[in-house]
Amino acid sequence: MLSFKLRGWNTYTPGLESAESWKDWLLSQYELSTDAVKPELKNIPAMLRRRFTAIGKCSVEAATPLLNENEKIPLVFASRHGDVDLTLSLLKSIANNEPLSPTSFSLAVHNAISGLFSIARKDRCETTAISATENLIPFAVLEAATQLQESKHVLCIICESVLPDLYKPFASSPPFTYAIAMVLSREEGDTFYLNNTHSKKTTLNTKNEFEELISLLLYQSDCAHFPSTKNIEWSIQR
Amino acid sequence: MTNLKLELKNMIIDTLELEDISADEIIDSEPLFVDGLGLDSIDALEIGLALQKKYGIKLKADAKETHAHFASINALAALVESYKETN
Repeated sequence: MLSFKLRGWNTYTPGLESAESWKDWLLSQYELSTDAVKPELKNIPAMLRRRFTAIGKCSVEAATPLLNENEKIPLVFASRHGDVDLTLSLLKSIANNEPLSPTSFSLAVHNAISGLFSIARKDRCETTAISATENLIPFAVLEAATQLQESKHVLCIICESVLPDLYKPFASSPPFTYAIAMVLSREEGDTFYLNNTHSKKTTLNTKNEFEELISLLLYQSDCAHFPSTKNIEWSIQR
Repeated sequence: MTNLKLELKNMIIDTLELEDISADEIIDSEPLFVDGLGLDSIDALEIGLALQKKYGIKLKADAKETHAHFASINALAALVESYKETN
């Protein structure tokens, strides 16, 4: 068992701007309106802002309110598929024998968003970009909580975008693009515990992992469960 | 503004997603990179690709003359003009 404190958290999903709207969504899972407010990134200079794709913009909007202006803080960036629209557009270019866009190519690496964010904030602290097929959220929290040995605070961003239709038969997709940001801390905030236990069940969770985490953060549950196909069940609880 | 220069400015705005900049804000003689418009090395590669797609011009990324061609809108327009004449 690993414990950590949570100095703050925030989420950004166009269409779910408040805790109340999240609670409503968790109960009824209604379809979000597509003309919802778009992230604007007002604090980032225009020349840099154009490099952020939708998922990057959501990440910045989620994380920025949690940070002090000149705070230097390590970042753990976690996403299963990353900027999958960008990757797919590059693959299509290759398939059509078209030259690749250098900008898209440079932004399609998994740590591009965390890199842009560090440039925008002029923060040279280390960033770690991780991915996982299942249990991404407990792994991200494990990485961030472990880094508390080195730093008093660690920023953790978990984000995912809706999969392009082409990929949907092969992997689960969240119903909308979201980013969740948390500042893990040695000393500030409520205490949480990350656990893993052996489980004989090999059932896949029918819920999206982010629903488990948001429910916990919004006090809608006491424990977030993250089952897996590997006979291990992760959980995070207060 | 000549048509070619306007065309080049619009090409730069579109390919580099300079959403806050209009063509008349880009000064023909001013540097496109760093101090002027503020473009960076990835933008240079993107412009190179756009020139290839639009005008069929192939440039070597590491050649000294490429650097000069990318100095300003005037220099880019001269490059496109000379390419049209010789091809």
